[in-house]
Amino acid sequence: MNLRHIIIVFKKEVIDLLRDRKTVFATLFIPMLLIPLLNLLLSSGVKELFNEINENVPVALAQDSNTPEIIALVKEEIISKNNHIQLLNAQNPYQALHLDKIRAILSFEKNYQTKLQAKEPFRIQIIYDKSQNKSAGSIEIIAQAITEFNQAVVAERIVSLGGKAEMAEAAQAELVNIADARQVNNSFLMLILPLMIGILMAVGGIPAATDLVAGEKERGSLEPLLATKPNRQSILFGKYLAIALFSFISVLASIAGLIFSYFINPQSSSLLGEVSTSGMNIPPLAILFVLAIAFTLGLTFAGIQVALSTFARSFKEAQTYLSYLIFAVMIPGYATLFTQPSDIPIYMFFLPILNTLSAIKIVLGGYIIYRYLAMALLSSFLYVFAALLFATILFNKEKVLFRS
Amino acid sequence: MLKTINLTKKFGNFTAVSNLNFEVKKGEVLGLLGKNGAGKTTTLRTLATMLKPSAGTAQVCGYDLLKEPEKVREHIGVLFGGENGLYDRLTVAENISYFGELYNMNQKSIRERLHLLTEIFEMQDYLHRRTAHLSKGMKQKVAFARSIIHNPQLIILDEPTSGLDISAIRDVHQFISACKKTGQTIILSSHLMFEVEKLCDRIGLIHRGCLIELGTIAEIKQKFHSDDLEAIFLKVVGENS
Repeated sequence: MNLRHIIIVFKKEVIDLLRDRKTVFATLFIPMLLIPLLNLLLSSGVKELFNEINENVPVALAQDSNTPEIIALVKEEIISKNNHIQLLNAQNPYQALHLDKIRAILSFEKNYQTKLQAKEPFRIQIIYDKSQNKSAGSIEIIAQAITEFNQAVVAERIVSLGGKAEMAEAAQAELVNIADARQVNNSFLMLILPLMIGILMAVGGIPAATDLVAGEKERGSLEPLLATKPNRQSILFGKYLAIALFSFISVLASIAGLIFSYFINPQSSSLLGEVSTSGMNIPPLAILFVLAIAFTLGLTFAGIQVALSTFARSFKEAQTYLSYLIFAVMIPGYATLFTQPSDIPIYMFFLPILNTLSAIKIVLGGYIIYRYLAMALLSSFLYVFAALLFATILFNKEKVLFRS
Repeated sequence: MLKTINLTKKFGNFTAVSNLNFEVKKGEVLGLLGKNGAGKTTTLRTLATMLKPSAGTAQVCGYDLLKEPEKVREHIGVLFGGENGLYDRLTVAENISYFGELYNMNQKSIRERLHLLTEIFEMQDYLHRRTAHLSKGMKQKVAFARSIIHNPQLIILDEPTSGLDISAIRDVHQFISACKKTGQTIILSSHLMFEVEKLCDRIGLIHRGCLIELGTIAEIKQKFHSDDLEAIFLKVVGENS
């Protein structure tokens, strides 16, 4: 291998790729714009749905419950304390529920009045449609209103018997959170960031890899290049480094997009949730480890991308092969999505891809064990070497390189 | 300049080139004639070190094909017909200079050589245009210039006029003649009889991977008692098919 030749090929490939609008668009602009755009669209949709569920809760009475007495009871004693619930008069309550005009139908037991006067419990059915987000989402608000009515009636009965109103309540639940701010803030990132980085590393270099080997084969420009002075390893490494660079550019563009989307819409709950950077306090050494491990994952994928692009007979075939790489991250990523940092077994830090996902997860989860991070980094280097060896073998095989 | 010794190339059970033995002297133009699939391109690809011989070897510019492939590549220029293999997003100058850099030429040498080739190939008007916007003939000129940027001792041309119009074919023929005058050695493949008659000092007829005739055009015509090279070719191929 000749470093000078590697640099010459690398420089040429970078210039060539930068002039390719398709590659620049796919590598830089799509990752940079996609996350903010998705965030804006999803968060505005979620916010709208959230407001609809909590602030506009129309209900109607079932036809056999639609009597002046029940209407008065609901309006004055059940929903009077909650401004967001409105009682509508629907001719056909089931159709109204189906058409999303009301969130639920209240159906009172026939002899409810007798039971109420006899101080016996009576049943109110809350009929809702679980297949509709708004109906399912509003149900707790309606149930809460009935619970409060219940408590008020019980308190009234206790008072009438000479007791205190407080006797209606046996215990009060109080939530005490012992997680520190860092853990709370990192929990969402811990869930999504490892998978996101893994996926970006797997797909970021695809446009460049497709173009630089399979594309060159198809355009007939690889053969003259192979007939020049540099050996195949130097040519391969020049191309490999260009693919790795574009892969990292793509990841950085996505992270820039993520940060940008946070700044334009910090309240968004769809992608960044309630994440705040104020409580994050990750040691610099751990950050360095994570960066190095993620970097080596990118180098591994760049090697695999070169190999697959070399194996492909055409540009289209390369695109097909390379698109499957996303599953290589998604399958282990989703399988371990909810694994807590402290539950990650040690062997995970040796397995390809999982080592990177696990390393990022333990750092973001505040469960930093440097020995594990070192294992992940070391095994990552081995995978880079294996990927490069695989790519070199394929690039040197006539049957593969010139197959048609 | 070039000597093949039992050069053989197999793809699995198929023998594309079988025991090829021939020599090309300095300043000579050798044409390889043969039908499609006869083994011409495989021979040239093997000589260009793109394919590894299954058996035998060749001495190219004093270097062994198997032992010193990099040295071989350093002294040869290769041009494939049909697809010219240019980088569409680079300019003409960038395409040519890139190959100069790959041959370890310094920037001064590249500039000087580029200037000379620009004049020879009359590329002044489009030197800084991206090659995607050039005509097929212009592209072939650029590809030709690029293949000889390092002033190679041996030029390997695989069907250099394939797919070109008459005017572009004439240009390519002029360039080959010009190279011949400057003492460069050329080995080219073609299936156009008039082309080899016009350009080559000697021709080799390849059929089913074997070199079945080798000599000057006059020698071959004399041997077959015919002035029609095409008829000779068909006769030889027919006899052996």
